[in-house]
This record gives sequence, C-alpha cells and structure tokens, in this order.
Amino acid sequence: MVDERRVGVPTTFHRHVRIPADLERLAEVRAVVRETATGCGAPADCIGDLVQAVDEAATNIIRYGYRGEPGWIDLTAELVGDDVVVTLEDEAPEFDPTAAEAPDLSVPPQHRRPGGMGIHLMRLATDSMVHRPRPGGGNILTLRRSRVRRPKEE
Amino acid sequence: MAMQTTVERVEGAVPVTVMALSGELDASNYLRLVDDVKPLYDDGARHLLLDLTDLSFISSSGLVSLYSILKVMQGEEPPDPEYGWSALHAMERDAEEGTAQNVVRLAGMQPPVADVISRTGLDALFPSYPDRESGIAAFTAA
Repeated sequence: MVDERRVGVPTTFHRHVRIPADLERLAEVRAVVRETATGCGAPADCIGDLVQAVDEAATNIIRYGYRGEPGWIDLTAELVGDDVVVTLEDEAPEFDPTAAEAPDLSVPPQHRRPGGMGIHLMRLATDSMVHRPRPGGGNILTLRRSRVRRPKEE
Repeated sequence: MAMQTTVERVEGAVPVTVMALSGELDASNYLRLVDDVKPLYDDGARHLLLDLTDLSFISSSGLVSLYSILKVMQGEEPPDPEYGWSALHAMERDAEEGTAQNVVRLAGMQPPVADVISRTGLDALFPSYPDRESGIAAFTAA
C-alpha cells in the first residue's frame, strides 16, 4: 500500500484482490476495505459505513448468488476524487440489489427473496449503489461513499 | 473464527448471565451465537447481559442473531434465520410496540455497532448501558 503511494498516485489509491466466495473469508473482505479506506484518509464513520456495506454485499453474493457453490469475488477499492469507491465483481446469476424494493408483504415470508435486510443497511451506509451485468455473466456492483460528507440516514 | 464468547454467571439479588462477545459478528458465525445461548436458557438463565465492549463489527446476520437470542430467552421459537426481512419486520414490530423487555440487555456498544443497532430500530427493543457494571445493576433495579 505504501509502495503505491510512493510511486506517485496518492489521489488514486487503489487495491484489488480476488477472494473465494466463502463466508469464512468475509473477515478478509472487511480487512481489505478497512485498510484501503484508512489509506484514503477516510474518517472513522466513513470507514465503518463502507465496511458494513461491502460485508452485506459480499454476504448476499456468497449466500444467495453462488448459493454455496464455488466462486469468487473480485474486490476493488479506490479513491476517486473525494469518494471511496468499492467494486464487487462476481460470476453468480444476475441480481440487481439496487432494484430490490421493500418486500411485497402480500407474499408469505418463506417465498420472499432473502437478504433484504443487508440491502437496507447498504443503502443507509453508502451515497450510491450502482449495479450492471458483467460481460460474460455475473454482476458488477459499485458502492460509493464520500470521505467528507455524511451519507443519508434514511 | 472471528469471534469469541465468554460466559459468566453473576450472583446477586437477581442472577445475571453475562455473555461477552469479542471480535466480529457476521454471517459466518451468527448461528453459533444463538446455539451458545440455548443451553444457557435450558440451564435456567433468565436474565442475559450481552457485553459488546469488544465487539468491533456486527452485520445484518448478527442482528438476526441478537433478535433470535431474545426469542430464545423469552422461551419462544427464533425466526428462520434464512429470511432476513421477516426477522427484520418482526424486530420492527416488536420495537414499535415499545414493550421494553427486561430479559436481554446490551452493554458497552462501540460506535460502529451502536450505529447499526440504531439504524435498524433495535435500540428501542434492547435496553443498553455504557458498561457491564451498569448493565448488571439495571437487572437488579428492574
């Protein structure tokens, strides 16, 4: 990390890692986000929000995207302007969490799509979430959080 | 494992079981936490203080385990942990009813954990205290 700064890209701090889609590796996902956001000069509340949002996103990919099958998540964290931007790329079946609304209460709970509570927390913890299909199959989810502004609380 | 728990029974006017969580509570370990509480209830524990002083992270899965622990301590069936929204709605419903329960209390929450608890309305459901000692004292005062 220090090396990247030394070669002269302090305003475009960047970290990329591929992590197996395994719940036991969530701690590693959080550590990468925490370290990168810290390196970007983000304050504690911003770091905490990003760690929360990325953990929820990765959890949903592992549990409801890959559904226990082997897979990977490409995690990229970087500073773009004053935003810390984290991108999660996977090759699980396409699902857009940003389009997930509050669940249809006319549908019995056992038939609703699980994972909605994590998405709720992701919305509260980020300034924006953008999903796009990955060319060749899968998902690319981009989470953005300003290191200077407080995010929306509701 | 990213989380450790220690359990201590504090005798007094009201016996209090103190479970201290250390580390990070996420989707990899939240079910184990509920499993840890069930034998405590079966052994007669009726007042549980969760000491969160050393808990540095809690995800939505962890919130489901807190709610499930409350249900276990109330002698009820916990919600199906696979369905986060139904658990969330059950939590919100209970929180809105404002029936401040006295069975499970929280102590020592640090900012990241406290933020998540308040954002999901769980602070209305779980009385919380700055530290272990005041949490234990609250059971006696109730």
